[in-house]
Amino acid sequence: MKKLLLGAVAALALCGSAYADTIKIGVVGPFSGPFAIQGKNFKAGIDAYMALNGSKIGDDDIEIVYRDVPQADPAQSKALAQELVVKEGVQYLAGFYFTPDAMAVTPLLKQANVPLVVMNAATSAIVTKSPLIVRTSFTTWQTSAPMAKVAKERGVKKVITVVSDYGPGVDAENAFKTTFTAEGGEVVDSIRMPLSTNDFSPIMQRVKDSGADALFAFLPSGPTTLGFVKAYNDNGLKSAGVQFLAPGDLTQESDLPALGASAEGLLTTFHYAVSHDSAENKKFVEAAQKAIGTPAELSFPSVGAYDGMHVIYKMIEATGGKQDAQKAVDAVKGLAWESPRGPVSIDPESRHMTQNIYLREVAKADDGTYYNKEIVTFEKQGDPGLAAAK
Amino acid sequence: MAALETTSPTAKATSSPNRLLRDLAGLAVILIVAAIGFLLFPNNLALLTRITAIALLVLSLDLVTGYCGIATLGHAALFGAGAYAAGIAAAHFDINDPIAMVAIGALGGAVAGLVSGAVILRGHGLAQLVLSIAVVHLFHEIANKASEWTGGSDGLSGISPDPVFGVFEFDLWGHTAYGFGIALLVIVFMLLRILVRSPFGMLCRGIKEDPIRVSAMGASVQGTLLRMYVISGAVAGIGGALNAISTQVVGLDSLSFTTSAESLVMLVLGGTGSLFGALIGTVSFMVFKDFVSAVNPFHWLTIVGALLIAVVLFAPKGLYGTAAQLLNRSRRQ
Amino acid sequence: MQTVFSVGTDALAYGMVLFVISIGLSVTMGLMRVVNLAHGAFAMIGGYIASYAAQTLGFGYAAAILIAVVGTIIIAIPVERFLYRRIYGAPELTQVLMTIGITFCVIGIANYVFGPTLKTIPLPDTLRGPVDLGFRSIAAHKLFAIACGVVVAGGLWFLIEKTPFGVKLRASVDNAAMAASLGVRTKIVYAVSFAVAVGLAAFGGIVGAELLPIEPYYALRYMVTFLVVVSVGGAGSIPGALLACLVLGGIDTTGRYLLPEYGEFFFYLAVIAIVCTFPRGLLGRKK
Repeated sequence: MKKLLLGAVAALALCGSAYADTIKIGVVGPFSGPFAIQGKNFKAGIDAYMALNGSKIGDDDIEIVYRDVPQADPAQSKALAQELVVKEGVQYLAGFYFTPDAMAVTPLLKQANVPLVVMNAATSAIVTKSPLIVRTSFTTWQTSAPMAKVAKERGVKKVITVVSDYGPGVDAENAFKTTFTAEGGEVVDSIRMPLSTNDFSPIMQRVKDSGADALFAFLPSGPTTLGFVKAYNDNGLKSAGVQFLAPGDLTQESDLPALGASAEGLLTTFHYAVSHDSAENKKFVEAAQKAIGTPAELSFPSVGAYDGMHVIYKMIEATGGKQDAQKAVDAVKGLAWESPRGPVSIDPESRHMTQNIYLREVAKADDGTYYNKEIVTFEKQGDPGLAAAK
Repeated sequence: MAALETTSPTAKATSSPNRLLRDLAGLAVILIVAAIGFLLFPNNLALLTRITAIALLVLSLDLVTGYCGIATLGHAALFGAGAYAAGIAAAHFDINDPIAMVAIGALGGAVAGLVSGAVILRGHGLAQLVLSIAVVHLFHEIANKASEWTGGSDGLSGISPDPVFGVFEFDLWGHTAYGFGIALLVIVFMLLRILVRSPFGMLCRGIKEDPIRVSAMGASVQGTLLRMYVISGAVAGIGGALNAISTQVVGLDSLSFTTSAESLVMLVLGGTGSLFGALIGTVSFMVFKDFVSAVNPFHWLTIVGALLIAVVLFAPKGLYGTAAQLLNRSRRQ
Repeated sequence: MQTVFSVGTDALAYGMVLFVISIGLSVTMGLMRVVNLAHGAFAMIGGYIASYAAQTLGFGYAAAILIAVVGTIIIAIPVERFLYRRIYGAPELTQVLMTIGITFCVIGIANYVFGPTLKTIPLPDTLRGPVDLGFRSIAAHKLFAIACGVVVAGGLWFLIEKTPFGVKLRASVDNAAMAASLGVRTKIVYAVSFAVAVGLAAFGGIVGAELLPIEPYYALRYMVTFLVVVSVGGAGSIPGALLACLVLGGIDTTGRYLLPEYGEFFFYLAVIAIVCTFPRGLLGRKK
């Protein structure tokens, strides 16, 4: 009898799942090409969230459809997003590592009745392009501005900024300059160098000649950071006591094994460190490292993706699986929760994340590897970039 | 475009009915393929529109590489110039009529063609390749620097084209963009068919075969090539404008070395020196790339690389060239 | 004055690193007439092998270099035999297509085998850290790169100009049919030169790894730089490549010191100016 009952329950359950809807989420990111590691991190964050929270909401199955845009390529990004919406019938768009790729999708959202959850792209203005955008990553302004306060507190008077000459680099420069000047500091020189710069020795020479006490730098995470940090050491700036300050893109965890000893002691401000000490983060890191395969490759985009999934799950719950983009976005305005990076909330006004920004120092762990050690917390930081743009 | 108009009447005179038939057949093939694409993939029209825009770029590259023998790895400069010209006109000057945008794109491309042609034509062989690379990098850097106008690396957004003829709106499903793109492609293709058969087109082919002899005949080699470069720029610019209109965003990637190299790969894949080769190369490369990267984004580069090697080994004249060769051989037998 | 010396030293060091990495390409392009866009791919293979040998297997720096150079040549032999031999004398576009294909494959495979992260080749203690030159300090590995550049330039010049092999090579390049009828086994000469070029690429990849770090997209990222150096110098000319590297290194470094914002403009405008004035490169061989 019991067996029969069980069988009946199982059959019912099967029927249930057969009739339930499948809700599709389209994720666009760099899954091949030079930035493939960041796309891998998107996937790891998403997989980790679904491993911990299940792939079902109520009766509805959640399915992720991935699309690859290897480099910033808005035309391709838009074509794929359109395909996701029209052909795959996705109810949510998510991912987006590069700003122009996210920008290209914004005109689609209203007509498609689809919310966009940005999991990385860090230019402040994206969220203003459509009321259906929520961002769960950070902005360059958000992570750079606190560094100016750090510099001030540490008694730094004169700073030289050195950034890569493209959107995010210029953002970082402006963020630091504005905040540091407001704090009463002086930016003695601002250098913008082409993205393709390989030899940073002449730049370091400029830094030395400027007589600054500290160097504020922004480079996109990836190969050039290695040469930059080495040039800082090799040209005797470190030994001359010029402090190195940067947002955390420069010391992302997946680059640290290569940077190694040369990065030790660098100060960065960022929204997430894999080493963040909390129960929530331990759970996340364990699941995400399993998902990514090679633990050393885990880095910041994974947490943006993880929290992005959290937001999407809440949206699906709020709409009961029905496609209603405005209702979905409204439902998460003001949403607050404990993320692996610490306490976060969605600012109802800008639909961007309010979160802690941490000052970290690259330190050597007991096992000889290097990690970002959080030493100071700036609580509940909004995005100063939006205010500055107005 | 002026050159194009002046040469077209003579072209008509020389074209035999057989050629006209082939032109019409070619036109029919394009339209049939476009229709099949529309029917088979009604939900992938954005991708098909993108292929159409790239096809215009590859056609324009064929004009200088296939018909004039100029080796360039910088042709995206013309495409991007067209895209930015159309985009800036829409975003900053409120010129939102799609046809006007295409005209501005063609103009922008033609000017870029004049500038880059003037530089690139000063070298030969390797030097030419390197000059073209330098030119595309300079264009890229200028667009990056002029972020007030171009949006820099964030991309130029805020382009919202009006409906075509005030009737057909650019919608989510991309019907209008696709139709608009195919119409542009067909018009350009027919004009180019006339162009390459005109005395001017013949002169270009002659220069490719033997520039010394052509100059001995009294024709200006540099002047002819530069004119072709300007025409090529206009065609690439139309492609760029189409891209700007259908995407509504223009990114720095449209001016990049990577796009240039990819378009060259597509052209050589299809077969240089034939407009059909350019189209076949574009369609097969883009479809193959899309298919492979959807199936396995992590390994598509290896597979594309293997495909390129296979083409060199087994179809050295490109897909179209080799197919045509095989066809000819079987006919003779 | 001190600044001038300082920037000059940087320029010299950067130029020599460029030289060590690019000279192999000058050999393939100038002497074998192959537009070898896969040059960076071989440099990258060398870097990966060296990194693997040093990091995972625990070999010393010198041993790692040796293993990497030999290993890269071994990998390159079948590639030359089955792929390159088909494109000797082919039109440039065909060569471009084939070598881009090879580059894509190498990138894909490297990405699969070694993962997308940066790889480093640990330097021995003697090459690590700054050396004081009196007026400034400079990284020891840069001095090492300068020394390598000088040795490579001298060695190659000797090989091509002074040895019987060099005579055969130049003969095969100028007129393969005539050389073959005089008893030169051109296929072997080509294979050996290819091996030398690939070995140099691998060596350059390792020595330059401090400036151009090893990662899967290395092969594409620096492809343009290598091409530019070779064409500015004049394909096949060793003194030309040396001169080109010093000139370009000088322009690049000075530009980056004085006006970093416009560094890219300086570099490419200079390239256009030089290539337009010297279409065969600074010291290119006349046909």
